Amino acid sequence: MPIGGFVLHVQPERREDVLEEISRFPDLTVYGYDDKGQVVIVLESETSEEMEKRVDSLLSIEGVITCDLAYLHGEDEVEKIERGEYVPKIRFGRKPES
Amino acid sequence: MALTRREFLKRTAALTAASFAGIKLPFTLEKEAQAADADRWVRGTCRFCGVGCRVELGLKNGRPVAIRGVPESRTNFGYLCMKGMLFYQLMTHPDRLKKPLYRANKKDKFREISWKEALDIAASQFAEAVKKHGSDSVAYYGSGQALTEETYIFQKVMRAGLQTNNVEGNPRLCMASAVGGYITSFGADEPIGSYADIEKANCFFIIGSNMAEAHPVLFRRVMRRKLDNPQDVTVINADPRVSPTSRIADIHLQFKPGTDLALLNAMAYVIIEEKLYDDNFIKNYCTFRVGKEKKEVSFEDYKKFVSAYTPEKAAEICGGNITPDIIRKVARIFATSPATMSFWTMGINQRIRGVWANNLIHNLHLLTGQLCRPGADSFSLTGQPNACGGVREGGGLCHILPGHRLVKIDKLRHEVEDLWGVPRGRIPAKPGYHTVAMFSAVNEGKIKAIWINCTSPAQSLPNCDKYRQGLAREDVFVVVTDVFPTKTTELANLILPTAFHFEKTGVYGCTERRSQLTLKAIDPPGEAKPEVWIVREWALKLSEKLNDPVIKKCVEPFLGLEEGYELPKAIWDEYTQKLTAGRDNDLRGATYEVLKQLPDGVQWPAPTKEWALKGGTYKKFVRGLDPLADKHAVDEKPYQFYGPAHKDHKLWIWLRPYKGPAEEPDAEYPFYLSTGRVIDHWHTSSMTGRIKELMRANPYAYVEINPKDAQRLGIHPGDMVLVETRRGRNILPAKVYEGPMEGMVFVYWHDMHEDRMINRVTKDAFDPGSKEPEFKICACRIKRLSGPKPLKPYIVTM
Repeated sequence: MPIGGFVLHVQPERREDVLEEISRFPDLTVYGYDDKGQVVIVLESETSEEMEKRVDSLLSIEGVITCDLAYLHGEDEVEKIERGEYVPKIRFGRKPES
Repeated sequence: MALTRREFLKRTAALTAASFAGIKLPFTLEKEAQAADADRWVRGTCRFCGVGCRVELGLKNGRPVAIRGVPESRTNFGYLCMKGMLFYQLMTHPDRLKKPLYRANKKDKFREISWKEALDIAASQFAEAVKKHGSDSVAYYGSGQALTEETYIFQKVMRAGLQTNNVEGNPRLCMASAVGGYITSFGADEPIGSYADIEKANCFFIIGSNMAEAHPVLFRRVMRRKLDNPQDVTVINADPRVSPTSRIADIHLQFKPGTDLALLNAMAYVIIEEKLYDDNFIKNYCTFRVGKEKKEVSFEDYKKFVSAYTPEKAAEICGGNITPDIIRKVARIFATSPATMSFWTMGINQRIRGVWANNLIHNLHLLTGQLCRPGADSFSLTGQPNACGGVREGGGLCHILPGHRLVKIDKLRHEVEDLWGVPRGRIPAKPGYHTVAMFSAVNEGKIKAIWINCTSPAQSLPNCDKYRQGLAREDVFVVVTDVFPTKTTELANLILPTAFHFEKTGVYGCTERRSQLTLKAIDPPGEAKPEVWIVREWALKLSEKLNDPVIKKCVEPFLGLEEGYELPKAIWDEYTQKLTAGRDNDLRGATYEVLKQLPDGVQWPAPTKEWALKGGTYKKFVRGLDPLADKHAVDEKPYQFYGPAHKDHKLWIWLRPYKGPAEEPDAEYPFYLSTGRVIDHWHTSSMTGRIKELMRANPYAYVEINPKDAQRLGIHPGDMVLVETRRGRNILPAKVYEGPMEGMVFVYWHDMHEDRMINRVTKDAFDPGSKEPEFKICACRIKRLSGPKPLKPYIVTM
C-alpha cells in the first residue's frame, strides 16, 4: 500500500474549512500546517492510481489550489505488478503530445 | 516505543513534505531508520511535462520502490506532481514491449524475432528505399520525450548518413510557433529569462495556457507568489475556457477562440495611446518590422497600424466578457507593473497564426521594456520534457541542424559536415518535409520507409484518420521504437522495444534552457534496448547494405561503447563540445561530470565548466549575467541581443494584423471545438455525486459543454453526445460545465478509443510560418444521442 507525503496549498482564509473537510477523508493524516495555507498531509491508498484519484478529490475542494507531492513510497506495489496481481493503466505509451 | 515500518514510512513522507514547506514537525527520524525506505537513490528529471522537475528514484534490492523530489533543485524545490510520478509503476508493467516484433504485411500477426534479424530488416528496408526511390523516400519522426542523445544520433545518421533532411518530431505539433516567435521577435530561440523571474514578477499575464493542470509544479510558484503578495501581484488569465488556472486570477479574460490577436493588438493600442511605452527601451533596442520581407518601418508606421485596433473594435471581435474598459485596464497593469511575466502554451502555438500570436505577446514586452529585468519576461511554456533540449537545440526538425543552425544556410551546413568529418555536400541543402507534409508524403507513397520513435502520430496528428491511411499502406515500411503498444504500433511492420525512463542515461533540456541528466537506475526488461544502441547498430548495417562508409563514419566515435552510460556520454560530448561550441546554446561546460555534480543541471549559454558549475545563465542578453552578451557586445549598452537571426542586434516589434481561425463556426457547424492535453481533475461543486464519481474514475475523454448550450440542446451531464466536424465524428459523454464559453465545446485528447479520439475530427490546417497545425480551433456541431452509457477504457494491446 503506497504512502505519499504532500503539501496542500490552500487559500489562507479557507484553511480551517479545508482542514475540516479533509478530516473526513479516510487514510489521510494531517501532520502540520502554517499561516501561509500550507498543510502537510500523508495519504495511504491501495495503489498509486488510487492515490492519484485521492489527490484529484482533494483538488476539487473549494480553497485547495495545489496538492504537491514530496515523497511517494510504493511499498510492495512493484512486486504486485511483477506478480501480475495489479496492472496499472498505461499513460506513457503514448499520451498525446504537446 | 519502536515505530512500525509503516509508521516510519509515514513519518518519512511527512518530514520530507514538511521540510519543503519550511514547516517544523514535532519529531525527527533516528539514524537507524533512514535506510529503511530505499537502499539507493538515483537522480533524474521527470518526463511528464516541460518544467524539468528533479526527482530521485529509490531502489530497494534493485527494484523501484519510492520517489522523492530534490529540494535543492531550482525548478521544483522538491515538489512533484502525482501524475508525473506514476511512471515508476510502468517500468515493470506486463504490457511492456520486450522483444523485437515483425510482420512483412500489416494484415499479418506480429512474430518475435531476434535483434540481429530486426536490425537487418530495418536496414534492408531503408537501404532498398534509398536505392530505388532516392534519399528523400525515407524519414524519421521523433519526439520531445526522447533524450537529446537519441534525437541527435538519429538526425545525424539520417542527414549525413542517408542524406535526407526528413527529420521531424512531435514538437512541430506543440512548440514550432513558439520557436518562430522567438526567432522573429528576439533573433534567437528560447526564453530570455527563467523560472526564477516568477518570484520577482508583479504581474502574470497567462494566455492560452492551463498551467494549473499542464505545468502544476511551476504553477505552484506562481500561486505562491500571488498568495504571499496578494496586493502587489496581479494575475491575468486570458483564455476562452475558464480552467483551474483561473482560480488564482484577479482577472479572467474570456474571448471567442482565435480572436486574441485582436486583443493583443488592442492592448498595444492602449499602451501607445496612453503613452505607457518605454521610449528608451524602444530607441535603444527595438526596430519595427512588417511583412514577409521583414521590411523595417518607423514607430509612426507602427502607431498608425495599431490605431485600427481600438479597444472598442477588439471587444466587438473578441466577444465573451471582453469590454473596452477591461482591455484598457489589463494593458495598464501589464505596462505599469514593476515587472510583468507572460506565460503561454498551446492556446497560442497551435494556431494558423501561431507565430503572429507569439510576436504580439513579445510586442507588448518590447513596447513596455518588460524584458531583461528581474521578473520581466515573455516566457513560452513547453509541453514535453525535451522539446527544447533535444528537438529545438539538437536538430530534431526538418529545417534545423544541431546548435540552432538552419539547414538552408550553406555556411552552417558545411560547419556541421566539417565537425562530423563527412564530405561537404553530404547534408542536402533543402529542408525536409515538415510534419503535416511528411505524413502527406506517406499518404502519397512518396515516403517508402519511416522510423517513428517514442511518439504516436496515428493518434496525435490532427485529422488523424487521413494520415493513418498512409501509414497503413503496404508499400510503406513503418518502424516504431517504443515502450508500449500504441495506435501507431498497430500500423507498424517492425516494433523495436526500447528502454524507458531511468533504464538508460541521457539529458533532457527543459523550458528554461536548462539541461539535466537522468542516470540509469535499472536494466530495461526483456530485450528492450536504449535507442542510442539501436541507431548505432542500425547505422552499421545500413553502411554495409548501401556500401557507404560515410554512414559508418557517423557512428564511428561510438563503436564498442557500453550502452547504459558510456555511449550516451560520448554522444553528448560530441554534441556539446563540437556542435554547440560558439553557438548561442553553448553547452561545452555542461559535461556529464558537471551535470552529475549539480542538483538541477545547467542553463545555457554555458561555454565553460566554471560558468556551468555556477548553474549557467539565468538571463540571456544581459551583460554581467550572460557571458555571451559580453563576448558579442557591440556597444556599451547593458543588453546585447546577439541572437543568430537578427544581424542588427535588435529586437523586432512586428506589425501583425488580426486573423481569425482557419475554420469558424457557421450555420452548419455552429460551435467552436477546442482541445487540451491533461485530463481534467477539477470539478464544479454543482456536479451531482454520480457524475462526480463517473468523472473521477474516468479514463475517458468527455466533451465539456457550457450549461446554457446544454440546456438549449437538452443535454444533461453524462449524456452521450455526437461531436461532428467536416472531417469525422466522435461520441463522448457530456460534462456540463462553466468552463468553455457559450458556443464553444472542449475535449481532452488522451483517449485512444476510436469513438473518443478527438484528433479524428480536428483540423490539419497549419501556420504557414511554423507549420504547426491548428489543433486548438475548428468548427463542429453537437447533438445528444442518448442518456449516460457505461464505457470501457481502451488500451492498445498486441
